[in-house]
Amino acid sequence: MSTNGTITPSSLSIKDLPWQIMWDKERCAFCGRCTAACPVHAIELGVFRKRIIQPALGKDTQPGNVYQVYYGIRQKTDPAYACIGCGTCTLVCPNDCIVPVRSDEIDKLRFHINRGGQPRRRGGRRNVPEGILDRIKFVRISMLTDPALDAGRHEFELRTLLGRILPPEENLKHLKEHGWIPPVREIYPLIIGSMSFGALSPNMWEGLQMGVAYLNEELGMPVRMCSGEGGIPPRLLRSRFIKYTIIQIASGYFGWDEIVRAIPEMKEDPCAIEIKYGQGAKPGDGGLLMWYKVNKLIAAIRGVPPGVSLPSPPTHQTLYSIEEAVAKMIQSLYMAWGFRVPVYPKISGTTTALAVLNNLVRNSYAAGLAIDGEDGGTGAAYNVSMDHMGHPIASNIRECYLNLVGLGKQNEIPLFAGGGIGKRGNLAANAAALIMLGASGVQIGKYIMQAAAGCVGSESDRCNICNIGQCPKGITSQDPRLYRRLDPEKVAERVVDVFLAFDTELKKIVAPLGRSTSLPIGMSDAIGIDDYHAAERLKIRYVV
Amino acid sequence: MANVRFFKIDGIENGHRIDSRILEERMQKAVSDGHRYIEVKAFGQHGIGGRLWKAGDDKVHVKITGSPGQRVGAMGFPNTFIEVQGPVSDDVGWLNVGAEIVVLGNAANGAGHAMAQGKIYIAGNIGARGMNMTKYNPKFEHPQLWVLGSVGDYFAEFMAGGIAVICGHKPQDPENVLGYRPCVGMVGGRIFFRGPHKGYSQVDAKLVPISDDDWAWLEANLRIFLEKIERPDLFDTLSKRDDWQLIVARSPQERFLRPRKSMSEFRRLVWDKELGKGGLIGDLVDFDRSPIPVTTTGILRRYVPVWENRKYAPPCQAACPTGIPVHERWQLIREGRIDKAIDLALAYTPFPATVCGYLCPNLCMESCTRQYKGMASVDVSVLGKASIKAKVKDMPPISGKKVAVIGGGPAGISAAWQLRRKGHDVVVYDMEKELGGKITQVIPKSRIPEEVVRAELERLKKNLPHIHLQQKLTKEDLERMKSDYDFIVIATGAQKPRTLPVPGKERLIPALEFLKRSRKNDIKVGKKVVIIGAGNVGCDVAVEAHRLGAEEILLLDIQEPASFGKERKAAEAIGAKFRWPVFTKAITEEGVELTTGELIPADTVVVSIGDQPDLDFLPDTIAIERGFISVNDIYQTTDPQIFAIGDVVKLGLITEAIGAGRIVAEAIDEISKGKRPRFDKPHMIDRQRVKVEYFDPRKSAFESPEECAEECASCGTCRDCGICVTVCPQGAISRQAKDNGDFEMVVDPEKCIGCGFCVGACPCGIWNLVENDPLEDLIAHD
Repeated sequence: MSTNGTITPSSLSIKDLPWQIMWDKERCAFCGRCTAACPVHAIELGVFRKRIIQPALGKDTQPGNVYQVYYGIRQKTDPAYACIGCGTCTLVCPNDCIVPVRSDEIDKLRFHINRGGQPRRRGGRRNVPEGILDRIKFVRISMLTDPALDAGRHEFELRTLLGRILPPEENLKHLKEHGWIPPVREIYPLIIGSMSFGALSPNMWEGLQMGVAYLNEELGMPVRMCSGEGGIPPRLLRSRFIKYTIIQIASGYFGWDEIVRAIPEMKEDPCAIEIKYGQGAKPGDGGLLMWYKVNKLIAAIRGVPPGVSLPSPPTHQTLYSIEEAVAKMIQSLYMAWGFRVPVYPKISGTTTALAVLNNLVRNSYAAGLAIDGEDGGTGAAYNVSMDHMGHPIASNIRECYLNLVGLGKQNEIPLFAGGGIGKRGNLAANAAALIMLGASGVQIGKYIMQAAAGCVGSESDRCNICNIGQCPKGITSQDPRLYRRLDPEKVAERVVDVFLAFDTELKKIVAPLGRSTSLPIGMSDAIGIDDYHAAERLKIRYVV
Repeated sequence: MANVRFFKIDGIENGHRIDSRILEERMQKAVSDGHRYIEVKAFGQHGIGGRLWKAGDDKVHVKITGSPGQRVGAMGFPNTFIEVQGPVSDDVGWLNVGAEIVVLGNAANGAGHAMAQGKIYIAGNIGARGMNMTKYNPKFEHPQLWVLGSVGDYFAEFMAGGIAVICGHKPQDPENVLGYRPCVGMVGGRIFFRGPHKGYSQVDAKLVPISDDDWAWLEANLRIFLEKIERPDLFDTLSKRDDWQLIVARSPQERFLRPRKSMSEFRRLVWDKELGKGGLIGDLVDFDRSPIPVTTTGILRRYVPVWENRKYAPPCQAACPTGIPVHERWQLIREGRIDKAIDLALAYTPFPATVCGYLCPNLCMESCTRQYKGMASVDVSVLGKASIKAKVKDMPPISGKKVAVIGGGPAGISAAWQLRRKGHDVVVYDMEKELGGKITQVIPKSRIPEEVVRAELERLKKNLPHIHLQQKLTKEDLERMKSDYDFIVIATGAQKPRTLPVPGKERLIPALEFLKRSRKNDIKVGKKVVIIGAGNVGCDVAVEAHRLGAEEILLLDIQEPASFGKERKAAEAIGAKFRWPVFTKAITEEGVELTTGELIPADTVVVSIGDQPDLDFLPDTIAIERGFISVNDIYQTTDPQIFAIGDVVKLGLITEAIGAGRIVAEAIDEISKGKRPRFDKPHMIDRQRVKVEYFDPRKSAFESPEECAEECASCGTCRDCGICVTVCPQGAISRQAKDNGDFEMVVDPEKCIGCGFCVGACPCGIWNLVENDPLEDLIAHD
C-alpha cells in the first residue's frame, strides 16, 4: 500500500509483515466471504487504478492514456491489522484463490508491535517447533526376551494413580492409627489440562466435558479433565459428571464461592483438586480477564458482576513460604471434601521444582505434583514470558523422579508432566517418553484444542490471538457469533477419537516393552536419545 | 480296520525317550518303505504325523497312543489321517495343509493354529488360542475345527478363514463355551457354537442367523464328527437347530462402522438428561448455541456496514475557517444546479467572490484529499470567482435582538451578515468612509479587481440597512450602546502598527499606512526599499513598492519568514529578496543598520511586524491580554453582553475573521433564544476512507466549475454513484428515496454478510464497518 510519500519508523510494507496474503485476481468471485471472516480485518476490498498507455506513431493516430479501475483484495499494513496467518480466508473461499503465506524472512512487525509502549501480548505457544521429547526413542523392543505383547490383541490396563500411595504396611499402620488413608484415584494417564471456562468458549468447554463423559460412560476409559480456574457451571457441579473433573484453584479464586456452596449438593466427589501455583507458558505472569470479556455468562459462572476486569495475580496472595503454601492450601482443600478428594499442586517448570517436591514428600497429604514445562500454552501472556521464561519439562520431571527414587518414594507421589506434549503431533510418543522418564501421567491443552476443535495455532506464530477473543474457530472466544461455529457434539466426538487413537498408539509403544498391566513409569532403560549430553542429563541411554 | 496291521514305532527305546528327530526319521522311513498304517507310541515327541508327502496319493493312517508332544500333525498333508487315542498337547494341526486329525480327548492351547486346510476333530475341550490365524485358500476347502466341549480363552484370534464348530457338550465353563475375548482380529471364517458365551470382539465379528444351507451343512457334518470321535449317541442332543448360533467375521467395510453410540444420542440420552435441557449452561443462557456457519447474516454478523453520510466534514470544509461546505457546492453543480451552488456560499460568507476567488490562501485546497494523494486539488477559486453573481434569497424580516457591530471589516461584516440572516436588527459602525476594512483599505488592488469588491459591497449594503460610517467611538459611546443594544460585537481590527524601538524609528513607514496610501497612489518610494518583517503583509508591501517604482526590494526577518501562498509568490515574482535572521540596530539616513554592524542601504524602510488593536474605547470590564481582547470559544468577552472577533482578538486571515463572525452570530442567536450556545464542528473525515483511485491522476488544471465538480471525491458526502449497490456481493444495499427528496442507502441485514466491500469501494468514504452490538443485547431487545 502506498504511504502517500511520508513514512514513519513504523511504516511497514506487506513484505515486512509475518504473513503475506496471496490473492488470485483471476479466480476471485468477489463474494466477500474472506473479508467478512478475517478475524483481524487484515484484508479489505481495495480500489486499484491501472494505467494503460496507448502509444501511437501514426500520422492520424494520437497516443493516449487510459485509466482503468479494478477491485481486489488488499492486505492492510497497519500493525494493528497485520495478517495472523490463520487462513480463515482460505477456509471460506469458494474458489481457493486466497491464502496467507509465511514470510521468507524474519518479519519487521515484531520490532513495531509495541506501540504505545505496550509490549506484545498474545495467546498460543512458544513457537519453537523443535523439542527434546520428539528425539527420545523407544529402544528396548522385546521380541523374545519378554513376553512380546500385541497392541491390537492383548488387553492393557493403561491406568495411573493420582493420590498419595503409601506402602502397604504404612497404609495399614496409617489406617489403624488415624482411621484414614489418603484417597487415590485410578485414572487414565492422559489428562486434559487446565483450561478455564472463560479462556475457552462455552461450546468448547462443553464439548470437552461431553467427550470426557462419553469416554468414561460409554467406553470405560477413566479420562479426567482439569477445570482450570474460571468457575464451573453450577449444573456440572451438581451432576455425576463432576467426578470426571479435577477442579483447579488458582490465585484468582474465581467461582470458588459457587463451588463451595455446591459441595453439600454434589452427587459425586470431584476427581481431585489442583492448586495452581504456576503455568509453564508464562511463569511468574498472571492474567487479567478484561472487563469487556466478562459478559453475563462468564460473570455468572465466575460469581462476579458483568463488566468488571478479573485479575489473576501471578502469585497466591496469602502464602508466604513453601511450607505454608503446601500445608495451608492442601489442608484446606482436603477439608472441603472431608478428606476424600486428593489435592495436589501444579507448578511451572523450574529449577526450584525439587524444593517443592521435597516439601510434598514431608507432607503426608500431598497427592502428587504436576509440573508444566515451558512449552505449555496459554490464552494470554506477554510474548517475552511465553518465549523466554520457563524450564523444559523433560529434565525437570526426570530430576524430580530420580529424586523420589533416591528417597525410595517413586511409587508414592505421582508426578504429572505438561507442556508441549504432542506439539508436533506425536502425542503418544511424547507422553510415553515422559512416563518412562518418570511421569505418572501427562496433561495436554494445545493438543486437544488442535485435534478436537481445529485450533490453527502451530509452532510458527500462526494465529495466536486467543487473547483478543476473536478466535476464528470459536475455541477461545466468548462471542456467540464465533463460538457457535463450534459444535460441542463434534468436539466431543473428536475428544473420543483422540483418546481412542492415543490409546492404541500408547499400546503400540508399551506392548513391545512387554508391559500391559501397568504403565512403564520411570522405565528409563527403554528409552534412548541421539544426543550425548541430553542422554547424560536425563540419565538415559545414548544411542546413535 | 481291525484286520489292518499297524507298523509300530515306539517313542521309548531301551528305556530312553527317543529324540523327536529320530522319531521323525523313522516315520518318514516307514512311509518310504510302503507302510500306510503306522502306530506311534508317543513319548512327548514333537510334530508327529505331519509332512508325510512321500506316500503320494496313498492314504496314510497314523494312530498315536501314549503322550504325543506339541504340534501333532504339523504341516499335515491331505493324504494323512491321524487318530490320537487320548489328549494332545499344544498346537495340534499346526499349519495343517490337509490332514484329518481326530483327538479322542482334550487338546491343549493353540489347536488348529494357522491351519489352512484339513479337519481337526476334538472329542473334548481345547485350551487357549484355538483356531488362531487359520486361513482359507480359495483353491481348497475351508479348514475345520470341531470341538465337542468348549474352547479356551482368546479363541479365533486373527482367524482369517475356516470353520470352527463348538458343540458345547459338557463345557469346561458351563457359563461360557467360547472362553474369554474370542474373535479379536478375526477377519474371515465362521464359528458355529452351541451354548452360552460372554461376548466376543464386536468390532471384528458379528452374530448372524443360521441359514437353511448352513444348517444342512452343520447337521450333515455333525454326524460325521460324532462318528469320528465315536459318540454318535450325542447326535440327537446336539442336533437341535435352535441351540446353535453362528459368528462370522465382519467385512472390511463393516469394520469401520464402530459400534459406538453416536455423540448426539449420548448428548440427548445421557448428557442432557443428567444436566438438564440445554446442557452445561442451559440454566444460565437462554439463547441458541447451535452451530452456525462462518459466513452469517443478520444479527449473527460480527461487523455491520453503516452509511455515515454527512457524519464527517470533508477536509476542505474542515480546513475552511469560514466553514464553507465546498463539497456540497460541487454536488449541486453535478446535479446541474449551478445557481444554487453559487448562492449557497452566501449562507457562510458575505464575500464569496472577494475572498474565495481572490484573497484567500484557500486552505480548503491545501487540505483537499486529492492533494494528500499526490493529485491536484479541486480548484475552488473557479467557483469563488463565479460567486460574484451570488444572489441573496429570502432575507427574513427583522424581528430579533438589537445588535451593534463595531467595525465594518471582514469580521464585523460577517457577523452583521449572519445576524441579519437570522432576523436580528444589526447596526454596523465604522470610522472609515467605506465598509470593508482591510479589504478596501489595505490590500493592494493588484490582488483583486476593484469591481469584484464593489459588487460584493453593493450586495451587502442592500441587505444591511443600518450602516454608520465615519463613527469614531469612545468609552462613553460604548457604555451608552450597552443599554441601547442587546449585544455588542467588537470587530475593530488591529489599527495600531507595531514598530521597532530602535534609534531612527521615526524614519520607518508602518506597512498599514504604506498600503493604505499606496492604494491611493499617495506615496512615493525610493529605488531601494527595505521591508522589516517578511510576512504576507510585508510581501504585499514589496509588490506595491515594485508597482510604485522600487528596483531593489529586500525583506528582512528575525526568523524564517512566515509568508506563504499567493502573497509570497507575488513578492518572489517581482524579484524581492528575503534575508534572515537579521536584527535591526538602527535606522539611519543611509538605510538599516544591523546588530552586526552591517549597513543595508535603503531609500525607503517599511516596518511590517504586525499591527495591534486600538483598545482605548473599551470599558474596564473587558479583559485584555497582551494587547488583544480575551474571549472564550464563542468569542464572548469578560462582559457577557460584548463579543469580540477578528484581528482585535488575534491577528489572522480574512477567512478566519469571517468564520469568527459566523460563529459569534450563531452564539448570539442561540443565547437570544435562551439556549446554551454550543458549537460542534463535525470531525474531519479520515482521508484514507476516500478512494481517489477513481479519478484521473494526470489532471492538473480545471477549466470550469463543472469539471471541478466531476473531479471532487465528495469526501464524507454521498455522490449517489451507486457503486456500493453494485459492489455488494449479496445485493443487500438499496437506494431508498426519502420524503424530503433526499435519499439514503439502506442495508438489508438478512442479506448482508458484513464483508465491508461497500466500505472498500465507496469513493467518498461514506460507508464504515463497525462491530455489531453484543448478541446478548440484540436478543434482549427482540
